[in-house]
Amino acid sequence: MRNSDPPLLEVKNVSKSFGGVQALRSGSFELGRREVIAVVGANGAGKSTLIKIVAGVYPPDSGEIRIKGRPVDLHDHSVSRMRERGIEVVYQDLALVPNMSAPYNLFLGRMPRKWGIFADKRLMRDKTREVLDQLNVRTVQDLSRPISDLSGGQQQSIAIGRAIAWGKEIVILDEPTAALGPNETGEVERMVEEVRNKHGTSFIMISHNLEQVQRLADRIIVIHHGITSQEFKRGKATADRLVKAITVGI
Amino acid sequence: MTDSSARKRTGGFLSPRQLERIRDYVPFVAIALVILLFWAISGDRFMSVRNWTFIAQQTPVLMLLAFAQLMVVTTGSIDISIGSSLAFSAYVGALGMLWLGDGGLVLGIAAGALVGMCNGLVISLLKIPSFVTTLAMLIIVRAVVIIISDGTSIYMTDGSVSGGTNISSVAAPWLLSLGKFPAIFVAAAAVAVLMWVFYEKTLFGQQLKAVGGNEKVLRLVGINVTAFKVKVFAAAGVMVGIAACVNLARAGAATPQAGLMIELDAIAAVALGGTPLTGGYGSVVKTIIGALTLTIVRNGLTIAGVPPSWSQIALGALLIAAIAISLNRSKVDVVK
Repeated sequence: MRNSDPPLLEVKNVSKSFGGVQALRSGSFELGRREVIAVVGANGAGKSTLIKIVAGVYPPDSGEIRIKGRPVDLHDHSVSRMRERGIEVVYQDLALVPNMSAPYNLFLGRMPRKWGIFADKRLMRDKTREVLDQLNVRTVQDLSRPISDLSGGQQQSIAIGRAIAWGKEIVILDEPTAALGPNETGEVERMVEEVRNKHGTSFIMISHNLEQVQRLADRIIVIHHGITSQEFKRGKATADRLVKAITVGI
Repeated sequence: MTDSSARKRTGGFLSPRQLERIRDYVPFVAIALVILLFWAISGDRFMSVRNWTFIAQQTPVLMLLAFAQLMVVTTGSIDISIGSSLAFSAYVGALGMLWLGDGGLVLGIAAGALVGMCNGLVISLLKIPSFVTTLAMLIIVRAVVIIISDGTSIYMTDGSVSGGTNISSVAAPWLLSLGKFPAIFVAAAAVAVLMWVFYEKTLFGQQLKAVGGNEKVLRLVGINVTAFKVKVFAAAGVMVGIAACVNLARAGAATPQAGLMIELDAIAAVALGGTPLTGGYGSVVKTIIGALTLTIVRNGLTIAGVPPSWSQIALGALLIAAIAISLNRSKVDVVK
């Protein structure tokens, strides 16, 4: 990135209340190209709210979001709009449709049409195979099976594949490995590195796993009581220091 | 996960996938057993050409209504207003023919679509569960039919006789011949093929199953589920409208009482076809088998001389047995 280039994503002082509860008071961070940042905080600190605002799930009450220097119109803020702007989310529960096949899940909301009304299943199958190959996932053999028949790691790879399949520049990972075992966690971390290196994708990761955050993230943003209070570069914070920042806010 | 490890985990002789394959055949096995049973009981009276012609005439209306129900049930909702909607559509279609000639029958299909769209709008915009919404619509639409008909029927005639001054009738010999075998069978088969293509091959059909599988996910990826549900209920309404036209052809009259309680038969046909009422899955072919099974059982019990009340008990028991065997419980998270 040249110094004159604006950051890929800028979030400035966004806030959000639900009824009388202030879920996010002031969330600010920047994300550069090919960067992996982690947002950490205690339960209820406002991580998910911040991420859902960026993903387009909630409009913020105030604040500013810029993508490549261009302000996002927050009156026209939706998941579809943010997807069009290059932001994809891998949710904690993966947001997959369990009874549908891997290709269907990969193409969710972007189904290719044949003759106007039919799904182009061959194209969907080929693209799914291509994406899984890119992620070096060779274990999903039968693409016609419902996704609920796949293992947790395989499902995770489909969810990540969906996020990167469309040349997306920013992928948000919401607790990407919370439900996975050690082997599958390692596999997901490998995929993140591979996608970042191969495609230049940037990642925003929410995780409670501080070891994982320290392994993967270039920068760690700490959110405390709804405010993004501190930021640490890779290798600049011990686990104890992070715990203190998360729990006490200093 | 290999089949053998899955077998060990389930502690049985068969893996879940093998069990699933067997469950797939339950509706077919059930209909074969039902036919064999009534053949054994009633012999040639049941297996006569005349009786099977009668079954072929009886099944289409139920089958078309089951298709409407299948669309809705696949999304995880239910439509219990289709009996009233059938009567409304048939009556509006008959009125259309009175006012506009043969082409006026299309108004009947439009009326079905209108009822379906109202259902969809109330469910999606007011967030009222489909059971409650369509229950209310069942009552309202039936009342509307009684009001607009003033309790009278509109008869279809072959043109050779004219009604008296107090009887509304339409000369529609073509419609009456459509209600007879083999025309009714051919028409129903054509709609069934179209329905199969629509349900199994189109994007709309895929989305029906996806909404039933996890509606929240579709919202998260930016799909407008609210608008889609309105379309689903409207499409089901169109199918009810088509069923109403077929019923008009078959019965030869649009009556305010048409389709009373038939919604339960449509739900039963869908369930007998192995479609879980929780949504996400379904099959057009098996729904046809479900509708046919229901018609055959009813017919077989009548031929065997079983009193109607006992027939109802037998039908209920059959429904529970078929669902108990065919339901894949691993795909149903919560039973309410």
